[in-house]
Amino acid sequence: MAPLQKRALYSFIIGLVLTIAFTAVLIAQGNITAFERDPNLRLIMYAVLVGVPLVYLILVNLTLRKPTQIDERDRLIMERSSRAQWLAVIFTLVAWTIALNEIYRDQGQVPIVFLQLIFMSTLIISTLAQSLGIFVSYWEMNRNG
Amino acid sequence: MGRIKNRIRRLRFDHNEMTQEELANKAGCTRQTIIALEQNKYVPSIELAFRVARAFGVPLEEVFQDEDSHGG
Repeated sequence: MAPLQKRALYSFIIGLVLTIAFTAVLIAQGNITAFERDPNLRLIMYAVLVGVPLVYLILVNLTLRKPTQIDERDRLIMERSSRAQWLAVIFTLVAWTIALNEIYRDQGQVPIVFLQLIFMSTLIISTLAQSLGIFVSYWEMNRNG
Repeated sequence: MGRIKNRIRRLRFDHNEMTQEELANKAGCTRQTIIALEQNKYVPSIELAFRVARAFGVPLEEVFQDEDSHGG
């Protein structure tokens, strides 16, 4: 497995763990506003928001430290995967915008908790999409060149 | 992928059965790229092509050939 593939695998696992943790908290609390009510949950959320990008940076450095660990072919693959990542992020934001617009149109305001949820979901989707993009690009390159 | 073919596998064999890993280290790329090159599934940049040729100590055209120019 190439170093870039390893990195993608780590990112994918982080993304999956976050998704599962996030869903578990939502199911356990029964309501989306739990994030707003519970100060501990809010602190955990802030820690995750800061921690995930930091862990991601550390992983990138560890897995792609040496110059020979990433080469021109990997860069081409990353370019392809970033297109998938960009599209996934845009569609996530579009989905949030339409959903919140339709649900809270009458109230004229959106609960503040959605700020965190939008950022969290975008971070997760971005991580997962980039990893999947890398896997698919490797597979495509190995198949078609 | 196409018209650019290479003799990397043959040259590795001729160079004391150099491993893909050794060649990758010498050429400054990953082993996966060497595998893709040997399978003709990736056409390298001119820079990488020169580095691969330099790793074998031979001119570029001894490693890479354009099939069209050979009537292929």
